[in-house]
Amino acid sequence: MDYAAFQSELHRIYPPDRLLTKDAQLAPYESDALTSFRSRPKAVVIAADQQDVIETVRLCHRSGVPFVARGSGTSLSGGSLPVESGIVVAMNRLNHILLIDPDERIAAVEAGTVNLDISRAAAPYGLYYAPDPSSQPVCTIGGNLAFNAGGAHCLKYGMTSNHVLGIKAVLPDGEVVQLGGDSLEAVGPDLVGLFVGSEGLFGIALEVTVRLLPKPEAFKTVLAAYHSLEHAGQTVAEIVGGGLLPGAIEIMDNLAIQAAEAAVAAGYPQDAEALLIVEMDGEAATVEADFERVMAIIQASQAYQVRTARDDADRMLIWKGRKSAFSAVGRLSPDYIVQDGVVPRGRLAEALAEIQQLGEEYDTRVANVFHAGDGNLHPLILFDGRQEGALERAEQLAGRILEMCVRFGGSITGEHGIGVEKRKYLPLMYGEADLDVMQAIHTQIDLQGISNRGKMFPGS
Amino acid sequence: MQHNIPVESLGPMGEAMGQAVSKCVHCGFCLPACPTYNLLGEEMDSPRGRIILMKSVLEGDLELEDALIYIDRCLGCLGCVTACPSGVPYGELLTPFRAMAQEKRQRPFTDRAARSLMLNTIPQPERFRLAARAGKLARPLQGIMPERFRAMMGLLPVSLEARQALPEITPAVGERRARVALLAGCVQQVVSPGINRATLRVLAKNGVEVVIPPGQGCCGALAMHTGELGLARVQGRRNLEAFPADVDAILTNAAGCGSGMKEYKLIFKGTELEEAAHGFAGKVKDVSAFLDELGPVEPHAIEGGLRLAYHDACHLAHAQGVTTAPRRLLSMIPNLELLPIPEGELCCGSAGTYNIEQPELARQLGERKAQHILSTEAQAVATGNIGCMVQLRNHLTVLEQAIPVWHTMEVLDRAYNGRE
Amino acid sequence: MNASIIDASAIEELQEAIRTRTCIQPYGAGSKTALAVADGQCTRISAAGLSGVVEYVPSEYTFTALAGTPAAEIERMLIENRQYLPFDPPLAREGATLGGTVAAGLNGPGRYRYGGLRDSLLGVQFIDGRGSLVRSGSRVVKNAAGFDLPKFMVGSLGGYGFLVELTFKVMPMPAAYTTLRARYPDIETGHAALVRLTRQPFEIYALELSVQEGLVELLVRLGGATGTLAARKERVGAVLGGARPEVLAGEQESALWADLRDFHWLPVGHNLVKIPLTPKRVLPLEAELAAINAPRVYSAGANLAWVALPGEIDGSDAIAAILVKLGLGGLVVLGEAGKRRIGARNGETFAQRVKQALDPDGKFVEF
Repeated sequence: MDYAAFQSELHRIYPPDRLLTKDAQLAPYESDALTSFRSRPKAVVIAADQQDVIETVRLCHRSGVPFVARGSGTSLSGGSLPVESGIVVAMNRLNHILLIDPDERIAAVEAGTVNLDISRAAAPYGLYYAPDPSSQPVCTIGGNLAFNAGGAHCLKYGMTSNHVLGIKAVLPDGEVVQLGGDSLEAVGPDLVGLFVGSEGLFGIALEVTVRLLPKPEAFKTVLAAYHSLEHAGQTVAEIVGGGLLPGAIEIMDNLAIQAAEAAVAAGYPQDAEALLIVEMDGEAATVEADFERVMAIIQASQAYQVRTARDDADRMLIWKGRKSAFSAVGRLSPDYIVQDGVVPRGRLAEALAEIQQLGEEYDTRVANVFHAGDGNLHPLILFDGRQEGALERAEQLAGRILEMCVRFGGSITGEHGIGVEKRKYLPLMYGEADLDVMQAIHTQIDLQGISNRGKMFPGS
Repeated sequence: MQHNIPVESLGPMGEAMGQAVSKCVHCGFCLPACPTYNLLGEEMDSPRGRIILMKSVLEGDLELEDALIYIDRCLGCLGCVTACPSGVPYGELLTPFRAMAQEKRQRPFTDRAARSLMLNTIPQPERFRLAARAGKLARPLQGIMPERFRAMMGLLPVSLEARQALPEITPAVGERRARVALLAGCVQQVVSPGINRATLRVLAKNGVEVVIPPGQGCCGALAMHTGELGLARVQGRRNLEAFPADVDAILTNAAGCGSGMKEYKLIFKGTELEEAAHGFAGKVKDVSAFLDELGPVEPHAIEGGLRLAYHDACHLAHAQGVTTAPRRLLSMIPNLELLPIPEGELCCGSAGTYNIEQPELARQLGERKAQHILSTEAQAVATGNIGCMVQLRNHLTVLEQAIPVWHTMEVLDRAYNGRE
Repeated sequence: MNASIIDASAIEELQEAIRTRTCIQPYGAGSKTALAVADGQCTRISAAGLSGVVEYVPSEYTFTALAGTPAAEIERMLIENRQYLPFDPPLAREGATLGGTVAAGLNGPGRYRYGGLRDSLLGVQFIDGRGSLVRSGSRVVKNAAGFDLPKFMVGSLGGYGFLVELTFKVMPMPAAYTTLRARYPDIETGHAALVRLTRQPFEIYALELSVQEGLVELLVRLGGATGTLAARKERVGAVLGGARPEVLAGEQESALWADLRDFHWLPVGHNLVKIPLTPKRVLPLEAELAAINAPRVYSAGANLAWVALPGEIDGSDAIAAILVKLGLGGLVVLGEAGKRRIGARNGETFAQRVKQALDPDGKFVEF
């Protein structure tokens, strides 16, 4: 089928106001949150319900036209970058919360539901949805699922894949499947586990069943300021090595502190070279006991300033600052690339020293924000795209950082996914046989390669 | 975000526009804060989408006419500015862009007629008064008017109070703690003259002497936000000349006017009035912020107590960052229970002339806001902007639950002095 | 022992064996007796030679071991550093291996606190149906690169590849445990108490509801700093309702959980069936089971039922019919099963596509 025929078929599914084809309608869909990559699709369709999505995928399959599903477009790896010869399926209107069952502790939602809206809906029952990527008030569960989104609480609570129980999806050839269910247990291979994090290559999730957790009874949050990243890193090692399991342990370096403080005014000490945030959560009695141990470790560390959150509002503000850090870097630099590598926790200090050295080598500023508890680094490589060669230098530096992560026995991505941005680095982590198997699975599920084409695999 | 906007060729405001684009990192944190994105769920109708559109037009990659439908739908509520971690000064891109667009665009006749009527009437109390009277007579004809005119009619009050001149000087009660100048406002003087009277009494009670400079006129915000830069400058210049320099602050009790006058800095950039505008804008304060800083006299309890919802006017909360001051003032009233409105950061749809230019979206937002207000089970709602007050009153009335809508100063006045 | 068991210690030999045979059945220690029953025509390949820890860095909360390593050996290693396997491997005392536990997809009662196998398996290395040695996942606690085959292997029952090496996340062990045992006059009140508890923000390590010979018992295990347990126990007790619960501690307490984990309650001559479910499905299942004398334990906050049934299960039995009726699936884990997977299934066509990719010639036996 040629594109004109395809388009007239699209018109049969979508009324004119939900089929976008004009320049002014397409330009805003060219990028997600990774603006170094842009691509204008032929059309954007605004799906109103699951049937729209299913029919669109079937039409694309018949016509061999690639499609990219898009939620809120907050991917930092270019995960929802459109394909020039294809269409974008906007999922935002599939945002209905279908079920909150407090006794089963589950929620069933449509894929376009915003992450935070699940917790909002569950709040009256004392429950919440645990994964909390920084873009939580914006990003959709469908995108979280496709890229196995993480957040600040992964060491204790896991990633998106640890909270998804069931998925209704339309596969790239239009077959609608139900994977998993609503139990924490299962029989047979874990199909849900495979689907989560498949970067949209297995089709489009329509409905997702997630588990809800009782909201922790108590939180204790402490900010500790250090004159060096190394000292902050050491404190993390001592806390975790001591058998304590904080809900979150985060570190920000001076550039990130300044940017976040400018954005949110959370009261971060601006002269600190490293800011450590540790949060204990859980049952009140345990939090109390464990927090005492945490404080003893911090007091004995090199921290020159220690502050605990006064109340819930203060705690929220501390987190708002941390969660704004990436975007806040927009204040420091017109362009940046966020990396997402992982190193073993014990090698954090070594890794940070090497990143600093690399920054000097490439004459490029690097801000660091990281989930220290699980060794997940987020170096923000700052550059001005209008300067000749700046983007290339930044990309080379990013590549060197990823090589380092693999050399240290880690991963090139902890929670943002490969997307388009890290495709060429996937072979750093996996050998030929490993990639062959992944490609074989991809081919079996999407022979034409029309679903989110161009993501994950090198050269795709 | 990178851009290739030829900032030098865009005049004095070009640099500000370029910087706004440059700061945007397209992260999408603005999406949930945007009223039109909430209603329409499309990137073109989101702040970051509009930034892309304006950028594309300025770079010459997109026809202005193609982008305008989405730019026009922007309320200018600046909810996105509050939400933006990167600190994008969205207003500094939008205001000059609209001015630029205004020079080039083709509008249909009825639109032009409506805008002209609006921009020439609203800012002049006497004309607005006449129009309001005429409007009252024309009310039965509403059904056969074009939608825009109908929307304008809806804003007019059903009854008008007799005109009452404001004193040029209101002395402080007791020891004088400060001396300020007050912008009397246009619409407000006709629709709700009680607000100014309450403001004067509250200020006086707090030891503030208030000057109302006779030469003053419209602040220019309406013209500014509809892209009529020339008119805005004429109006602004008048105020720059009319307001005395020997006051501690220039106060407004209408959030839209306050943020408009703070924007004098932007619209007079590169003109001979740049410096004067800077000085003037630096003195502009909302009356609630001023009073909060001054440290107000303890108010009395209100008879019978009051469950009061507080509505953040966008041009107070987002454009001026004033959110805690009015809440603190109201909370000083001993038996007043202040109630938060769900989704409080979202615009009520009034947004200056928005409910005239985009009546359908304004209606949806107004209704949504009224429902959220009612969900608090408040006995009344307070806010700091006349536009919001009119919008809230209309939509509460439509829902047949017309609880009173007061200005923050009216509530305070009641606590200080009892019922007017 | 079946004559066709190959005991291969070298990975290359294993690859060769897989390349040259047409039907293969991976085999661990045989602790899941029903799953270990040989398929007549097939070659069983044992992982017994693949035993040993490759890497363990306690401060990273991770370790890597060969698939044939006995789970009990790992537990002994971890306890030295006061860590434990959060999925609480069943049948560890019967010799259960890490690989067998993953392939069978079995979690013990302790999975309630930090999740099961799918939540702690970080990386796998396996030999696919073409004899290729494939790695997926990583050795760090957080990773989003590539398809998540480690998760896919949980519960794969040896049908997609031969597990060689596994990397797990571990968790710090609480300083002390205590357990409350409450009795209820009937399943309804016991079930209601369980649901009440799951809604509370209590840090519960295991939550099991046992129904045996008319006796309904709820078992709640708490863990944490010693000083906190007394008060927390009281709070849980208040939610339990009914008669004052019995409190267990020390060796008696750990023995209780070890026996539960290894199914010591299973009557002689009975099969053990695993049935994933949710709290809401407990009472409907109970109504159906009323006619059958089947001792049972609802595990992990009633996300799972372990049901004991006498006689051979061939898929046409009463239990299979009940599962189909309730939309539940089951796995016969212990016993002399004719059929292992019974009841409802979903996602089959998706699974078949993966099978085509990993094992195009269909060498690995599927249940």
